[in-house]
Amino acid sequence: MRGRSRLKVLGALVSIVLVGAACGNASSSPSKSSGTDSGKNTTVDQPGVTKDTITVGGVASITNALNAPYGDIFKGVKAYFAMQNAKGGMYGRTLELATPRDDQMVNNLKETQGLLTQDNVFAAVGLATIFDFSGAAELGKAGIPSFGWNINAEWNKPNLFGNSGALCLGCAGVELPWMAKQLHKKTIGILAYNVADSKACAEGVKKSFDQFPTAKVAFYTDSLSFGATNFAVEVGQMKDAGVDFITTCMDTNGVLAIAKEARKQSLDAIQYLPNGYDQKFMDANGEFFQNSIVRVPFVPFETKPAPAGLADYLKWMNKQGDAPNEYTTYGWMNAAMLVEGLKGAGPNFTQAKVVAALNKLTDDTGGGLLDGIDWTTQHTETRPPESCSAYVKVVGSKFVPTFVPKGKVFLCFKRDQGVDVPPTYK
Amino acid sequence: MTEFLTYVIQGIPYGCVFALVAIGLVLTYKTSGVFNLAFGAQAFVAAAVYYDVHVRHGWSRWPALAFVVLLLSPALGLLLDVAIFRHLRTASPIAKLVASLGLLVAVPQIVTIWLGQASTFGVVGIWWDDNALYRFGGKYVLDGKQMAIVVSTVVAVVLLGLLFRFAPIGLRMRAVVESPRMTELAGVNSDRVSAFSWMLSSLFAGLAGVLLAPLYASLAPQNFTALLIAAIAAAAFARLTSIPMALLGGLLLGVIQALLSGYLPPASVIAQSLKPTLPFAALFLLLLFWPGLRSAVQNRDPLSGIDPPPSPPVAASRGKFLTNATRIFGTVVVVGALAWLLTGATSYWVGIATTAVVLSVVFLSITVITGMAGQVSLCQATFAGVGAFSTAQIVKVFGLSVLPTMLIGALVAAFVGALLAVPMLRLGGIFLSLGTLAFAVMFDTLLAPLGWVSGGARPVRVPRPIGFVDDRSFLILCVIVLVIVSVFVIFIRRGTTGHFLHALRGSETAARSIGINPTRVRILAFAVSAGIAGLGGGLLAVQKNIATKEDYSYFLSLFFVVLVVTLMPSTVEGAINAGVGFALVPEVLKLVGVSASWQFVLFGLGAITYARHPEGVLEFQKRKSLAAIEKRLPERWRGPGANPPAPASALAVPEPAGSVD
Repeated sequence: MRGRSRLKVLGALVSIVLVGAACGNASSSPSKSSGTDSGKNTTVDQPGVTKDTITVGGVASITNALNAPYGDIFKGVKAYFAMQNAKGGMYGRTLELATPRDDQMVNNLKETQGLLTQDNVFAAVGLATIFDFSGAAELGKAGIPSFGWNINAEWNKPNLFGNSGALCLGCAGVELPWMAKQLHKKTIGILAYNVADSKACAEGVKKSFDQFPTAKVAFYTDSLSFGATNFAVEVGQMKDAGVDFITTCMDTNGVLAIAKEARKQSLDAIQYLPNGYDQKFMDANGEFFQNSIVRVPFVPFETKPAPAGLADYLKWMNKQGDAPNEYTTYGWMNAAMLVEGLKGAGPNFTQAKVVAALNKLTDDTGGGLLDGIDWTTQHTETRPPESCSAYVKVVGSKFVPTFVPKGKVFLCFKRDQGVDVPPTYK
Repeated sequence: MTEFLTYVIQGIPYGCVFALVAIGLVLTYKTSGVFNLAFGAQAFVAAAVYYDVHVRHGWSRWPALAFVVLLLSPALGLLLDVAIFRHLRTASPIAKLVASLGLLVAVPQIVTIWLGQASTFGVVGIWWDDNALYRFGGKYVLDGKQMAIVVSTVVAVVLLGLLFRFAPIGLRMRAVVESPRMTELAGVNSDRVSAFSWMLSSLFAGLAGVLLAPLYASLAPQNFTALLIAAIAAAAFARLTSIPMALLGGLLLGVIQALLSGYLPPASVIAQSLKPTLPFAALFLLLLFWPGLRSAVQNRDPLSGIDPPPSPPVAASRGKFLTNATRIFGTVVVVGALAWLLTGATSYWVGIATTAVVLSVVFLSITVITGMAGQVSLCQATFAGVGAFSTAQIVKVFGLSVLPTMLIGALVAAFVGALLAVPMLRLGGIFLSLGTLAFAVMFDTLLAPLGWVSGGARPVRVPRPIGFVDDRSFLILCVIVLVIVSVFVIFIRRGTTGHFLHALRGSETAARSIGINPTRVRILAFAVSAGIAGLGGGLLAVQKNIATKEDYSYFLSLFFVVLVVTLMPSTVEGAINAGVGFALVPEVLKLVGVSASWQFVLFGLGAITYARHPEGVLEFQKRKSLAAIEKRLPERWRGPGANPPAPASALAVPEPAGSVD
């Protein structure tokens, strides 16, 4: 009986607390100071900064069910730091990377909190997660300079920097219709998984051809199951429809299965691969992708002559003993952006000053590997005034830069540019 | 007609893929009595080793194939038999299922750690030329890897059919599955027969692994797991017993998928819904309406009645002195930890503690459905997801306060749980588990990607309630919720429902004879369990400020069950220990410099102990500790039932005494 009385009292107390709290939701979280300006002091009093070192840390899906090398992003960070440290580091301090954190795909928030509170780092450098970047809000609140591989909508914070500005997967663009016209392709097949991002991407492609009808979309499906490898019927239907240009929003399993099935059924079509820039993948499967087009969001490794940024990158990756790939490239660019921010912030740098310096840049090239990002607008602007990408064609098992004249890397289109207006090159 | 025929023929090679896995499942079930969810994991082991020796180390095709399929795979089967399943022959089908579930979680992680996170492109098959094209009738084409699958499937069906029909070993294998003890009375060495069974089925898993791996661009365990779950439908079609029917079921699945792809408008809503979910929907419907399955007799040893009764829980058998000492110690630890968390700990540790508390709430749902009702549900993370998405969407659309909305989310999950329970409870045993797994995968594939459920590409954000915005106060809220739910679960256990459930676990017939309505009680248990999971899911979404589908995937459902049954499935204490373990073990592993992936290995392998210790590893260790401590105590401080014998098999279910909590 006494036990029951105690429970009643406990219940009453709990009810009071819960009813009191149930009146509403928090509209915003309290902001946290993003660091102090050291003013005229030459000593820098910032997290992760000593008189000899600047330590940064990162979070990636190192362990993941896709067996993809997300952890390689840190190899790129280390290579850039090695180059910068060989030049004397920054303001007499060497750049160091703390032990990377592994979010195992679903622990991004926890590991980001760990990075912020346990690792005592000046910046987050090397952020690459398979799924949602749930730690983005924490980084945004903390105001810490953060650099990673932007493939998520959560990157629209003023202190988050990456390989691109804000993304819009479902937006129309002139690039693909222009490409189809150049390649004399008349009939388009669009395939996507029954997964949100994949579907949004396919919708964007379809809208592009609706807006710029250089070719007819004769086959469209966004109902494929993720993990499926049997596309016999879809390929048969594309063949019947006369498809000669296939665009996918799928992973390597999917595009390879489609390519193999296309060869089986003698479908004479090439693929546009937004996610296929992987030399190991093409070494193993190049025969199925002859003349297909791969989008590369940075300077392709095959660019000749190599621009200075690419030459440095390849040299220092080689020196480190690691093969360059997409992931290492993002790591290199992330580290380069940090250094750019530190330069802009000056010797009395703080986290806030680095963020502010970067947000003044209108042409951040990530160490010479990007066409240039305007951070004054592109944190939130999903359709910048001009968008540029590099493209390579698969020949044998090699990637060969295409669509640009010699000496140029990027193919650029102005916002709202018509498909008949020639693109510019960078 | 030509079009129809084209689709049918295009569906056959992939149907053989389903058939190959389904035949493996049926073979294992027929010869070992285990519904081996680890079959996909065994296949992955073979595929990974074949890739390593053939592609990375340059062995030529045939030696690599012989090594993997004829040597390594049977050796793995022998190891599984000797180390695990031989000891489970008299255990319940559920205990065997849990053991195989543990292997499904652990083995791929071990292989992945061994392979490393490097690209594994260029997987090759066993045919002379994987990419060679073979034309039939001038129009239909198979490539080398498909030829290998089709030929192997047909040969396997013929050979296995001959084995079971004509070879004496086939009959002995079935006899051992029926009752090893009775078979031994007839002079058959059941150990030897069992070893042969496992080696044969593992050989088949190895063959399936090397045949199926080239279907994918790279090696990844999730491919095999997804394929395994899809192929369960074909195995269910075969009532888990008929190999030719498994072949037919697999072929039907492949052909129907091709027909749907061919005839449904590719961009239609029905195509988007039906095509990806077909295997899981087929499994779900087969479980509900396939008469053979409902009447299928689950393997149960006729001599199981000679097993000794279960031991009472430690908490009920220790003396007053030790009980009080334990309570004081526990209180000091909890209060001390809370004091540190609320004053000195960084937000990282507060976050970990909050995760532990939130997951403890989710795990209490397993305490109800598995610990009390004796049913293994493999969709508890899905129920958590239902609660989380409901909470997130209601807050977003209607602007309601979060706290009451979490309760609404819990009610929605409870409603879904009750709806699911109505048809599922007709099945019972492993079929209920498979049905819940099919539901979880259907939810992942069909509903979770939809915008009105999860937000689609833009997951729905969930604010924290006023007064609990910062991490420490939110932790307090979570502790309050955990206390309330724990008390609720204890009340259920001590109340009428708990006693009814306990009576049903003892003897359903006896329970019916005293007026207990089994269906009503079990539906109630399912609904309560789903509601608790939904509440926990809502809390998790609020903790993370976002409801993302990855936090509620079917794989997590499997891992949750493994975790809870490993530690202590039948008590509130067990659920809380599981929550703390889930949150803390990765941190401990980090401290000792080991990959956090090892947590899956540890808990996965831990689940194997379920059959021997259905009370959980913690309870078993407590019993051992109690015995050791009481030896040193004066007699007046000892409990009434000190050092009782451990239960002999998983058929013996421990008494869910309320005093434990």
